[in-house]
Amino acid sequence: MKLIKTLAAVSLLATPATVMAHDQGVTDTEILLGEVEPLTGPPALLGVAHNLGVRLALAEVNANGGIGGRQVKLVAEDDGYVTSRTIQSVRKLIGVNKVFALTALSGSGQALAAMPVVKRSGIPTMVPIGPLPPLYEPPNDNIFVVGQSYTEGMRQLAEHLAKEYPGKKWGIILQDDDYGKSLGEGIEQAKKAVDINVVYETKYARGQKDFASEMLRVKDAGVEVLIAGGIISENIAMVKEAEKVGIDPVIATFWPGRVPEVLKAIGPASDGIYGVDYVVPMQSEAGKAFLELAAKYLSGDDVKRVNRYTMTGYSSTVTLLAAMKGCADDLTWTCTIDKLQTNPPVDTGVMSPIGFGADNRFSNSKVTIMRANYATLSFVPVE
Amino acid sequence: MRSGYFKETIVEHINLTDARLQRIWIVIALAILLLAPLYFDFYGLSLITLMIITAIGAMGLNVLTGWTGLISLGQTAFMVLGAYAYAITTESWGWSPLAGFALAGIVPAFASVLVGVPSLRLTGLYLAVTTLASAFIVNHLVLEFDGLTNGSSGIFVNRPTIMGFSFDSDQKFYYLCAAFGIFTILACLNLRRSRIGRAWIAIRDNDNAARVMGIDLRTYKLFAFITSSFIVGISGALYGIFLSFVTVDGFPFLLAIEALAILIVGGIGSIAGAILGAIFLVALPEVSSMVFSLLGDSTQGMFSTSAHEIKGLLYGLVIILFLRLQPHGLMGLWQDAKRVWTLWPLRY
Repeated sequence: MKLIKTLAAVSLLATPATVMAHDQGVTDTEILLGEVEPLTGPPALLGVAHNLGVRLALAEVNANGGIGGRQVKLVAEDDGYVTSRTIQSVRKLIGVNKVFALTALSGSGQALAAMPVVKRSGIPTMVPIGPLPPLYEPPNDNIFVVGQSYTEGMRQLAEHLAKEYPGKKWGIILQDDDYGKSLGEGIEQAKKAVDINVVYETKYARGQKDFASEMLRVKDAGVEVLIAGGIISENIAMVKEAEKVGIDPVIATFWPGRVPEVLKAIGPASDGIYGVDYVVPMQSEAGKAFLELAAKYLSGDDVKRVNRYTMTGYSSTVTLLAAMKGCADDLTWTCTIDKLQTNPPVDTGVMSPIGFGADNRFSNSKVTIMRANYATLSFVPVE
Repeated sequence: MRSGYFKETIVEHINLTDARLQRIWIVIALAILLLAPLYFDFYGLSLITLMIITAIGAMGLNVLTGWTGLISLGQTAFMVLGAYAYAITTESWGWSPLAGFALAGIVPAFASVLVGVPSLRLTGLYLAVTTLASAFIVNHLVLEFDGLTNGSSGIFVNRPTIMGFSFDSDQKFYYLCAAFGIFTILACLNLRRSRIGRAWIAIRDNDNAARVMGIDLRTYKLFAFITSSFIVGISGALYGIFLSFVTVDGFPFLLAIEALAILIVGGIGSIAGAILGAIFLVALPEVSSMVFSLLGDSTQGMFSTSAHEIKGLLYGLVIILFLRLQPHGLMGLWQDAKRVWTLWPLRY
């Protein structure tokens, strides 16, 4: 008997790690979701705001009885915007925490790097930050991308500006990475439809702080419409420098930096800056309703940190939860993925309805052109 | 009772192992390495894989900094070159992964000559800053030559298939990294006991004395640069495969600082120290997270959502403590323990 017990113990020890079940992260009382995002360092401005959006969606669903009577919980992992840590965190969430689904894969580059791990695992995954085409072209069965591509957003913004300011001289300053490349492609596409006269174009290294020489050249070239293709600190530096050298071109920025903090940092010179986004401005009716919802479920300090990324995080997670609700009695990955692609589009009010299809893993959300209003630190849609 | 090791010949002195007990420990270590995939899930296995890749990189830096006494902050430059050399040859040109690995070592080694030659007369901080500049230059070149490197978009890297054997699973890739790790250890140990290795140590200890002994400083320093970069390049290629995606963003400058931290914590100038340092610093956040989890959900949550900052704090704290209390690192601790074990109850 003793020998049998010993052998049994040894055989248990010798058992290799088991293959994951498809309903991991689900117990009788709770469902565990996970996400990776930058929660520290400069990119935390977007990571924390996104995390608030996910937590808001979970608080809302939990307050209404959860999913099939189960409360939904979240494990958030900080990757500090470092790719290797994104991959490690994704592996940890899937393999150690055994979450049921992923609500974010950090930034665009990080999501691309984590894609093979996520694809191999088969776990339902939402990607609401940095929607790059390689994430959804060709479509991956379990990866659902929410938003709009940088290229398409830039194309629409450029076409609008070309019609609004015909015959003007353009200046384009882009970041030397995939983000800048995507914006450049959008401008090239717009050139096919409208007349754009580019008199100055340059790239800058990511993380650059000083744009004095660029702005002097913008001034010398007589630029009247300036595409400031930075993210946050770069756009602030560009506009401040333009102010310093005494030029006042029409300035257009892009959605990664469309947050109140940027307008605050730039000051009154930010008034009238163009922006483009696929979520509603905070000062719109839908935006105000969203803030009320946030105030209901989040703390006062958290509400202060709400921005556009909170909306995208919220909308994406609500879409995932709607699919999971449809599978409440049989909460499996297969069923959730099936519901995500067959459910009618989910309307959260803060962006166009999110829907996917059998061969479509991209929400292709509608974009709106906006202008900054410094007095209210917000953006107003252009009529 | 054992009273220490006494060596009477040069051959005994340069033998890789000097006791049966050591050989037993090596066999145990190899067995653990071999059986690890059976007992770890894919997260645990990926952590061990990362430890091995980090250890290879640390051993590469150890050749330059630990043995030759040349401080380098260019670790990321050579890792990037190794990763891109592998990615371009295997993914863009469709060459064999073996050729990819060969070039992952050769390209950084060649680049190190370009960095090394102007740096031969430099030491200390001046050399550190020169090598630091190389990291920025390499990143800039990678982004500039986007026809070759795909620029900022990076290159997807598949797991290799070598001689018909595919390393597509995590377990198989782990074994590939382990094989490279063992090969690197053997190569470094043999280099260390060779004429070249002894010359490096002489240069590190006193370059004037080394010159008087007839050691050509420039030649041997250049050897150190080439050897170090070759090994670091291989670790870069493995890291690129591990990430499955090669881009300059995947190799932040922090890696160079981490590599130096690994040497300090493990024990500068020791291969075992480089390995122990890599294990220690890769496992540090995980162990800390486990400790935090024992303190309850809220503390665990705090660690999870502030991991990056807490990890930075822990790195700093560990390095300060080691520099202050144990300058010879983990290997120093081990030597002290051995000495106490051998001499106790005597002190000397």
